[in-house]
Amino acid sequence: MARQVAQLIAVLAAALMLGSAVARDRDPKTPQTPWHQVPREQQRALQPVAPEWDRMPGYQQQRLMGAARKYPEMQPIQKERFEARLKDWAAMSPDQRRAARETFQGLRKLPPEKQHELRERWIQQHGGEDVGAPRSRGPSTPDYSRAPPR
Amino acid sequence: MNEKEFASRLKPFLDRAADQVGEVQATKLKSARLRALDAYREPVRLFGLVPVAAGTAHTIHYGVVQRALLWLPIAALLATLAIQSMNDVDDLGDLDAQLLTQELPPDAFIDQDFRSWLGKSHS
Repeated sequence: MARQVAQLIAVLAAALMLGSAVARDRDPKTPQTPWHQVPREQQRALQPVAPEWDRMPGYQQQRLMGAARKYPEMQPIQKERFEARLKDWAAMSPDQRRAARETFQGLRKLPPEKQHELRERWIQQHGGEDVGAPRSRGPSTPDYSRAPPR
Repeated sequence: MNEKEFASRLKPFLDRAADQVGEVQATKLKSARLRALDAYREPVRLFGLVPVAAGTAHTIHYGVVQRALLWLPIAALLATLAIQSMNDVDDLGDLDAQLLTQELPPDAFIDQDFRSWLGKSHS
């Protein structure tokens, strides 16, 4: 009996954790953080999106702040990429960002040599352009009103 | 022989035996019947979740440690959710930071060709 109860609770726990993680990812109730309340260190990292900051939904601000917290630990080349890509990243729709994260996680599951092969293939196909620089495919000016907070 | 026929054949024997039951035995039988009725319980739900057969829940006597063990998964769940809520933004932010700082630009990951190559690599 106790084992059945424990199993039931374990299943419920797993479902709850999954549900809460998904809900937190795009919770429209997440309050916005005004730019002046963003810690100075993170403001520096988030400078490229400062003009749009106050129009972003709270959940997106939280994720960007989460990413910006890693900024001090980044290598110079990583900081450069972060700053160069942030504006276009923020301008993507929530679905595009979700798709990009899924693909990125899928890539990380491959063996290192396979990851390298795919990266090289993509870079070659895109003419050896500077992959650190942003390549706008979506809107360069984010339209937050069209991005539904889901 | 069906049930009714069997009952009608059995009844005279039972009636005859019942006539021979003494006062003491009759009192004992009556007492046993009342005890059985008293012990009967409607099925209950443990923690409101698991249905337990009649009377079972009332006859189980968990010790303090056993009760604590029963509640342990719930305590673990609540603790995990609390920790998760604190770490979640950090974890998600970490993923975004890694995505933004690795070799390929983010739009490579929404590129149909790249996604198709990746799908083939996984299969």
